[in-house]
Amino acid sequence: MTRSILAGLTEFALTALVIVLVILAVLVPVALSQPDPFEVLRLFVLGPFGTIRHMGNILEAATPAMMTGLAATIIFRAGMFNLGVEGSFFLGGLAAAATAVLLPLTGFVATPAAILVGALVGSLACIVPGYLRVRFGASEMVNSLVLNFAFLFAGVYFLNYVLRDPNAGALMSYKLPADFTLDRLLQGTRLHTGVIIAFVACILGGIWLYGTRSGLNVRIVGSSPGFASHLGLASSKLLMQAQVAGGLIAGMAGAIEVLGLYSRFSWTALPGLGWTGITVAILARENPFLVIPAALFLAYLQVGGDMLARNLDVPSEIVGLVTAAILLAVTAAAIFRHPAFLRLIRDIKGQERGA
Amino acid sequence: MIEFFQAIADPAVVATVLRVMTPLLLAALGVLISDRAGVLNIGMEGIMLSGALIGVLVSAATANPFLGLFAALIGGGMLGALMALFINGLGTQFIITGIALNMAALAATTLGLFLATGDKGMSGALQSGVLPNIDIPLLGGIPVLGPLLSGHHMLTYVAILAVPTVAIMLARTPFGLHIRAVGSDPKAAAAAGVSRNRVQFHALTLSGVFGGAAGAYLSMGYVSWFAQNMTAGRGFIALAAEVMGMGTAWGTFAAAAVLGIAETVAITMQTKGLPNELMQMIPYIVPAVMLTVYAARRQAKARSNS
Repeated sequence: MTRSILAGLTEFALTALVIVLVILAVLVPVALSQPDPFEVLRLFVLGPFGTIRHMGNILEAATPAMMTGLAATIIFRAGMFNLGVEGSFFLGGLAAAATAVLLPLTGFVATPAAILVGALVGSLACIVPGYLRVRFGASEMVNSLVLNFAFLFAGVYFLNYVLRDPNAGALMSYKLPADFTLDRLLQGTRLHTGVIIAFVACILGGIWLYGTRSGLNVRIVGSSPGFASHLGLASSKLLMQAQVAGGLIAGMAGAIEVLGLYSRFSWTALPGLGWTGITVAILARENPFLVIPAALFLAYLQVGGDMLARNLDVPSEIVGLVTAAILLAVTAAAIFRHPAFLRLIRDIKGQERGA
Repeated sequence: MIEFFQAIADPAVVATVLRVMTPLLLAALGVLISDRAGVLNIGMEGIMLSGALIGVLVSAATANPFLGLFAALIGGGMLGALMALFINGLGTQFIITGIALNMAALAATTLGLFLATGDKGMSGALQSGVLPNIDIPLLGGIPVLGPLLSGHHMLTYVAILAVPTVAIMLARTPFGLHIRAVGSDPKAAAAAGVSRNRVQFHALTLSGVFGGAAGAYLSMGYVSWFAQNMTAGRGFIALAAEVMGMGTAWGTFAAAAVLGIAETVAITMQTKGLPNELMQMIPYIVPAVMLTVYAARRQAKARSNS
């Protein structure tokens, strides 16, 4: 047992080392272009831990990343490359805002109702490409990529013609009523109770995937469809279940984001947090428990980038480059499937059997 | 019905169709080459975006739009080559490599625009060039056909001429044979002495060059500026066009034409007062519907055969 934990730690250490090297590779040239290179590195690496408020910002940024990361994890685990998480996140936020503006709900039911509607409507963006794949064999990847934009424009239409506040100047919804908000947890940040939902969701997702029969079935369908059909599993049904679950979680993520952070809905472009979720899922090796640290880590990078942008003349887009580079590095088979590394892991595990 | 044909033969309508299908066709041909080599280029969106910015920056710096186009082609090719190096050198999955390229390109183009202009949204402050339209001397004089065939953007002609070129290259040249061999059966190709790494490197580089051309068209033809994320999913529509085209250059051409007509209908309806946003959905819904119909038909055919 301890040996297998040790093997896991070795893999984690290698991942961490690779990530550190990637961050340095992107950041050092940027730092050298500034008058005080060490200040750039210090601010990026240590800045986010500087104050309680900044650590609150990390949790705030990790909230949607955890939820979309969990959604992508479940979808990928079923063996589907459905990229509808981005569209689901957008639709979920829109539907939650619509519930808040249009329905006369008050009190305790208001916020949960809005989140529920957000989850249900948002799930469409994952369900449609998933269904077209399961039923007709159409590529879920290409369909989800184009349909994300179709859902975006349908949403912007709805915002413009139904939710728009004509007195607001720009294109944005009416103010969301005060009952439709998530409570703030920390003074000076926008950290809200959604972060608790995100933590709980990831843990429940992990228990479902590794501890229940239906979770096991989804993993079997995803990793070896042939074996699944030999076992007599209802593959299509399991695939759809995973798409629905992923879509609901991604829609919920969008709803929580809008209710937790904004007083009006004003997204007129895809917010990009679905792509963050995909990065989180891959960084977490498609393990719901590891989604939590992966999301926290990406959020930490985001806060570091924001601090660079605020205090020095370094645009925060640098984080996008770092994230893309990390996404590539952690999936590099040349590193993580290197014979020497695999032998090392086998040795560590193999001694357990010998002892 | 007669009205319909009159509308189709209207030079202005034809010009619009060609205008909107040019970037799709260029990008989709690029995707086609990569797909046939077994490494579907998901990064097309990012390559187009990079090509668009490079074209604007270089043409503004040199006051020569052709140098801008040239730089966009080189830049696109280099990004394609970079993808190949990651996929075969570092062993990353090609889908994830494409997603990473799209993310990096969105960040890098915003960053590049900011460094060049101090603005993260638009390149309006730059005096960037526009690639010319071409009047074909004799053809332009023919009464009905002339206005239909002559006077379009130079990259529109390039895109249309690229269709038979790519078709012939894939079907009749050794390079095309190697691409198809590597794409359909890498082991057999390796046994015949064809290096998968080398062929995929060349295919992705060429794919990137097409993406660079599509991007340059967007920022130096379709419009005359660069805006943040200006491709707005066109790279993904091109991906769908290639899949609809069933892996052939002529099929891809037909799919790009259908999508171009769909977008033209959307643009025309907008000017007639129909809601802008709903019309903007059309170019994204049509590929999804067509893709699904094709897949369903293929599935039905496979069932009736077995």
